[in-house]
Amino acid sequence: MEVNGQLALTVLMGVFLIAVAAWLARIEDWRSYTPLAGGGAVGGTKEQYVSEEKPSGLIRWLTTVDHKDIGMLYGVYSLIAFAVGGLMVVAMRIELADPSMTLLSNTFYNSLLTSHGITMLFLFGTPIIAAFSNYFIPLLIGADDMAFPRINAIAFWLLPPGALLIWAGFFPIPDIIPAQTAWTMYTPLSAGVGSGNQMNAGVDLMLLGLHLTGVSATMGAINFIATIFTERNEKVTWANLDIFSWTILTQSGLILFAFPLLGSAILMLLLDRNFGTAFFSVDGGAILWQHLFWFFGHPEVYILVLPPMGIVSLVLPRFAGRRLFGFKFVVYSTLAIGVLSFGVWAHHMFATGIDPRLRASFMAVSLAIAIPSAVKTFNWITTMWNGNIRLTTPMLFCIGFVSNFIIGGVTGVFLASIPIDLILHDTYYVVGHFHYIVMGAIAFAGFAGLYYWFPIYTGRMYQTTLGKWHFWLSMIGTNLTFFVMVLLGYGGMPRRYATYLPQFATMHQLATVGALILLVGQMIFVWNFVQSWLEGPKVEDGDPWDLGEDNLTTAEWTWFERKLQTAVTDGGEEEDAELATDGGETVTDADDE
Amino acid sequence: MDEAPGLSDQYRTASPWPVFVALGIPISELGLLFGVFPLAVGGLLLFCGSIAGMLKESGYVESTIRSLVVLSAILFAFGGALAFTEINLVTRGYATIAAAALLLVGGVAFELFVWDNKQAI
Ligand code: HEM
Ligand SMILES: [Cu+2]
Repeated sequence: MEVNGQLALTVLMGVFLIAVAAWLARIEDWRSYTPLAGGGAVGGTKEQYVSEEKPSGLIRWLTTVDHKDIGMLYGVYSLIAFAVGGLMVVAMRIELADPSMTLLSNTFYNSLLTSHGITMLFLFGTPIIAAFSNYFIPLLIGADDMAFPRINAIAFWLLPPGALLIWAGFFPIPDIIPAQTAWTMYTPLSAGVGSGNQMNAGVDLMLLGLHLTGVSATMGAINFIATIFTERNEKVTWANLDIFSWTILTQSGLILFAFPLLGSAILMLLLDRNFGTAFFSVDGGAILWQHLFWFFGHPEVYILVLPPMGIVSLVLPRFAGRRLFGFKFVVYSTLAIGVLSFGVWAHHMFATGIDPRLRASFMAVSLAIAIPSAVKTFNWITTMWNGNIRLTTPMLFCIGFVSNFIIGGVTGVFLASIPIDLILHDTYYVVGHFHYIVMGAIAFAGFAGLYYWFPIYTGRMYQTTLGKWHFWLSMIGTNLTFFVMVLLGYGGMPRRYATYLPQFATMHQLATVGALILLVGQMIFVWNFVQSWLEGPKVEDGDPWDLGEDNLTTAEWTWFERKLQTAVTDGGEEEDAELATDGGETVTDADDE
Repeated sequence: MDEAPGLSDQYRTASPWPVFVALGIPISELGLLFGVFPLAVGGLLLFCGSIAGMLKESGYVESTIRSLVVLSAILFAFGGALAFTEINLVTRGYATIAAAALLLVGGVAFELFVWDNKQAI
């Protein structure tokens, strides 16, 4: 039986590899008979196929190394992950509508909790940011593409297997159950010690998946650093580099120092689980995990919030009719946050009994990091002050971002104070705090970007009324759900439980109502997004937001304008534009480079 | 106006290799972690083969065989360390060594038959 299984697997693997090889051989051939385009000559050199058109259909998406395509792939991927993580939490919130265990078993609740957190942070948060940065950074800085286009593609393609591994426990595979370690994966629970069932291979699969997403993020970060340093158009200097690129650059730096650490810690944990090492099972092992994890984990929260701040800093001024107030200080505060974020990790460990002197210094830095965050907030507010505000959907999401970020930030500052944290730690207050940021701010900025750039990547316009419905339902749902959680925390409701004392029932029911409002809002979003993409009115103006009137046009819209003109002269659609242009090469643009 | 704005002349817009590099990593990781021999060998072959293909395609190296030899040497060393030192993970070590050997053989075969063919055309 055992041997047969191995044999079957070997045969399967062999067949798979041969199929891959055969397919590759065909592809490699296919690219050498192109001379249709780009004036390639027979027996030509490498240049022969460089300006070749993209292959069509599915193959195009599987083989693309174009930063815009990869950005789209990231976008689709992260929205799917957002839906999965969102539906998971809807099930949890429905369970929590009633104090006892009703709909879901406690263990299943724990599994959903773990998966929801990891999905939202690693499969939605990081990739949605990469969607924007891949698509727009090269356009904003006038680069042809990313510095390493193939590495860029590898980084993306690591994510789907990562997601499958992370969710593997939910698939009907015999003997595999989902991880129930929560996203922090604290040892000894995650090391499989004790009478629980966390020795199951489902946890290993999740760890592997997480490791893959970490590798992916690191590759992406290296790519962005190299791109922003070396691929800028000569007109783009450090002095006039746009704010979104600054935040991506800083974020990439944080990723470069934080993610490899997570990767190593995960490998150590895997070794502990499978090969009998004892990194985390000796004395102090549990606290070692927490140090390693949070040394990654706190920078991770800024990895997630800096680029959304960049999006807001970019989009909000466009609809306030003026330039970003105190641009330089927004950049400085970005850099300051980047540096400081490595000095605050132990504020997640105030209650573990670490040395009080250490604790105090981490409290000081944690309070200090609120300063650059506040600088940004004031700059956004002053940008809007006396501005000519246009309440478009992206602008509404930006304003929602600022509002939610203030509540999330202020609750964070309270947590950073040791005496308060000792009371509120591991209560719903913490859940309220960080959801104000991750949902109320990060996801909102994501929506702002999705709406703002919708014309660029779809060539169409969304339905504005539905966009506003989406915003208001999201805003109300977020504030209802998470403000109630702050109050629940004051009341002493501990986090991460599937059941609770009846005294908390009303509050929990309110939070569930809030979550359902959010659900309705997101369903409207999906409808609007898909329907408008397929059937929305075509955008014919390269400046659909009338940014030119206030002199606020940025490079990606200029690019879009040019692209539209190209398309119009060919009288065709987007795809045609790319095909047709391959024939007649005009070198106008190459000259001024 | 502008031909495919934002798109470079120097870059190809498609490459078949990245997907397979990305697939090779999880397959070999799964194989090595759980000690599943065929997965480990297949994953490593896929990973290293695609790396070599990509290096060639992007012009970082002249010949495929050389990168295959280097990659297989690395695998030999790693597999040897797993199998014959006190780490003592014998199956995983042999799997890695098997992948290294196949890579080498594949490289030589490719060099002898396929490459010549292409030149001849
Ligand atoms: C204004 C600056 C901030 C301060 C001073 C701050 C402070 C804190 C503190 C002290 C905790 C630990 C609470 C506890 O477990 O007892 C915490 C938790 C958390 N914060 Fe913040 N925070 C800030 C901003 C942010 C931002 C920007 C994000 C997200 C992007 C964030 C995400 C989180 C998360 C995810 C947790 C919970 C981790 C967990 O235990 O699962 N925080 N914050
Ligand atoms: Cu923190």
